[in-house]
Amino acid sequence: MSRYAKRLDRDLVRWREAGWISQDGEANIRRDLASTDSSKLDLASALGILGAVLIGFGAMSFIAAHWNEMPRLFRLALIFGGLFASYGVAGVLFERCHPTFAHAAVLVGVSIFGAGIMLIAQMFHIEGNPPDAVLTWALGALAAGVILKSNPALAVAMLLVCLWAGWETGDTGEVFWPFLIGWGAVTAAIAWRGWSGGLHLAAVAMAIWIISLGYWLFDGNGHGVVVGLGLLIAAAGIAAPLVDERLSPWSMQGAAYGLCIAYAGLFALQFMKELPLDYFILLAILSLALVLGSIALGLRLGSPALLWLGYAGFSIEVLGIYFKTVGSLLGSSFFFLSAGILVILLAVVAYRLHARVQPGLEASS
Amino acid sequence: MTTERRNLWVAIAAVALGQAAVLGWMIWDRVSLLANGREVVLEVIPVDPRSLFRGDYVVLGYDISRYTLPPGTKPPKRNAPFYVTLKKGAGETWQTVAGGTEPPRTVQPDEVVIQGRVDYTTQPTLDNKQESVVVALQYGIESFFVPEGAGRELEKMVGDKKISAVIAIDADGRAAIKGLMSDGKQVYDEPLL
Repeated sequence: MSRYAKRLDRDLVRWREAGWISQDGEANIRRDLASTDSSKLDLASALGILGAVLIGFGAMSFIAAHWNEMPRLFRLALIFGGLFASYGVAGVLFERCHPTFAHAAVLVGVSIFGAGIMLIAQMFHIEGNPPDAVLTWALGALAAGVILKSNPALAVAMLLVCLWAGWETGDTGEVFWPFLIGWGAVTAAIAWRGWSGGLHLAAVAMAIWIISLGYWLFDGNGHGVVVGLGLLIAAAGIAAPLVDERLSPWSMQGAAYGLCIAYAGLFALQFMKELPLDYFILLAILSLALVLGSIALGLRLGSPALLWLGYAGFSIEVLGIYFKTVGSLLGSSFFFLSAGILVILLAVVAYRLHARVQPGLEASS
Repeated sequence: MTTERRNLWVAIAAVALGQAAVLGWMIWDRVSLLANGREVVLEVIPVDPRSLFRGDYVVLGYDISRYTLPPGTKPPKRNAPFYVTLKKGAGETWQTVAGGTEPPRTVQPDEVVIQGRVDYTTQPTLDNKQESVVVALQYGIESFFVPEGAGRELEKMVGDKKISAVIAIDADGRAAIKGLMSDGKQVYDEPLL
């Protein structure tokens, strides 16, 4: 039963007891719920996925294992046989309507493809550029995800694109722009599948990449760009429903990711760089204003994600200021005093905002 | 067979054959290089060993891994391609005769061009502009995987400078290790399949 179904289950009983809905009405709603609640998690599916992950790791550790006793042709037969077998099994499972297990088999196939690239490189002493091998693997996973309509394969493709970009960046010490092409391709496939979980994965990948820009651009002084981009994304998220009503489900998420990026940039600016005091205070005020903003926005849009982001941002900001100032400029007692006043002010503001969103609150309390 | 079922199996076949084709191409590309590439013998210089993930291997260094550019030359960028012309020396092994960031215009029949990539360059110091630039090169023939356990023994042989490598080089200058030689005898032979 999904979270929504559980909550509705509780509410239905309350609503019936209050006399707002009839017994028949409740039964109808329950029937409708049972037929449409597709997001249930079951143990079998979870185990299927875990099994596939384990087999994938098994294939990978083949490399570490001593398999040079086997003749080379036999090893190749094993790789190709494993590849065809896992996709074949996936086909049979799709046909028999076990999509979860079928996707698990697709994942095994994708893993064997990756293991095959590494094993063949080892057997034939192909050195080349290791990130290229990761890119090849990512393309294989993307193809499997698109052609077989497999969300798990698309998730693997996204992770591999990140690994590829991370590796290239680590090798060269520069921003790796081709990441945007890889990310765009996988994200387009995820959007085409209409998979919201995958879009979140794409958003997290992009957020991490933007945050990393701060450390690579302008010799590690690109955090200002990160803050700007984050604010831009947040603003776009908030403004999106004004342009097109259909975008409103994504508004809150866009704002949350944008603010998260902006915070990461601001924290890096404040706490990882040596700054003049006035500039630091300015940034701290901006950060706290943003924190307040996201809490207010969270309340307005009814978004727990934004609220928690605000609380977390506030905690990190305060802790950061503490470590930055303790024993040096202000002294910790002054810090705690000011932080305390700030928290109380915040509480008052939050209470006011909260009361405005839910007018019944003040009246009932 | 219904259309839906046929589509499913076409999709499955496309993915499986596509991925198998990529792996197959990797093998074919390498085997054709080993089979058709021109054979040269290079002297091996000892370096240090072992990979965590890929089993035992020895790291091989070569005379041709360093190339000295004349003073005043602009040092090439990291990872840039670099072309070295080789010619058979007095003994079995081949020696460098020329090198540069562009492929040579003319190549004698008894010479062969190998393509490497710039690993790093030593910059001339400020007070001595006349110092020459040394370019460290990688050719993709720097590690050789050996049966588990044989690494130490081979390493020792490399350490004693008794080893030379048989390299296949194709028309594009790409290189692959065909085998290892010790005192003129083949100690490891790379089977094609």
